[in-house]
Amino acid sequence: MEHSAPAIFVALEQSGFAVAVRQSRWLYPSANVGHILSLVAFAGALAVMDLRLLGAFSATAPGRVLARARLAAIAAFCGLAVTGFLLFSAEAGHVVRNPAFRLKVIMIAAALLNALIYEIGARRAVAKLPPGVPLPRTARASAVLSIVIWIAVAACGRSIAYF
Amino acid sequence: MRTRFTLLAALALAAAPALAHHGWGSYDAAHPVTVTGPIQTSKFENPHVIVTVRGSDKVWTLTLAPPSRMESRGAVAAVVAVGNEITAYGYPSTVEKDEMRAERITVDGKTYEMR
Repeated sequence: MEHSAPAIFVALEQSGFAVAVRQSRWLYPSANVGHILSLVAFAGALAVMDLRLLGAFSATAPGRVLARARLAAIAAFCGLAVTGFLLFSAEAGHVVRNPAFRLKVIMIAAALLNALIYEIGARRAVAKLPPGVPLPRTARASAVLSIVIWIAVAACGRSIAYF
Repeated sequence: MRTRFTLLAALALAAAPALAHHGWGSYDAAHPVTVTGPIQTSKFENPHVIVTVRGSDKVWTLTLAPPSRMESRGAVAAVVAVGNEITAYGYPSTVEKDEMRAERITVDGKTYEMR
C-alpha cells in the first residue's frame, strides 16, 4: 500500500518506535487526546496575542501581555509537535500522501514564517509601547494572517480523516 | 507575504487530487459488500485493526475498529487471528484498491459491530 510514499516515511512507519505507538493500547489514544488539549491551549494563547495586536485589551501594556501569552503558546506548540509526531509516525507512509495533511504542513510553515517575520520586524518595537496606543500596521497585519492561517491549519488537521 | 501565502495554497490545492488517499469519507456506502474467507494477515494495532481476507474472488484488506473498541466488544486479537474464517460486511474504498471498511464481522457464529 506504500508504493508512492518516500522511503524515509515508510521507514518511520516501520520503525520500532512507530510499532510501539500502534501496539500500545493507550499511547495512540493518549496522543490523540493530548493533541486536542494542546490545541485548545495553543488557540487560547494565540487568541490573546492576536487580539492584543489588533487592539483588544488596550488598557494593558502590550509587551507584558504578549510575552506571557507567547510563553504559553510556545509550550502548547511543543505539546502539539510531540503528540502530532506520535500520531504521524504510526501511519507516516499513509498520512504523508494525504492531501489534507500536506496542505496542513504548508499552512504550518506559512504560520511559523508569519510569526518569524513578526518576531524579527515588529516584536521589539511593540514591546516598548505603553497601554492605549494603537499598534503598528505590520503588527496588526501579522495578527490577521496568524488568525486566518492557524484556522486553516486546524481545518486541514481535522480533514485528514476524510481524504 | 500575502501573495506568497496565496501562491502556496494554490499550489497545494492544485497538487491535491493527484495525491488523494484514504479516509472515512472515501468509502462507497451505496455498494456494500460481504466477504467471507480465511484471515491471511492480522494487525491488531492502532489506529485501526487491519486484516487481509482471501475472499472468493480476491484478497481483501479489511479496516476494522480501533483495538480498544474491538476488545470492549469482545473481538479480541484471537478472534481475528490468522487462519480464522471471517465474514465481513462493509463498504469498499473508492480510493484504495481491494480495501473495505467493515461495519460488522462474524467469526465462529458470533457477530461483532465495528461502530
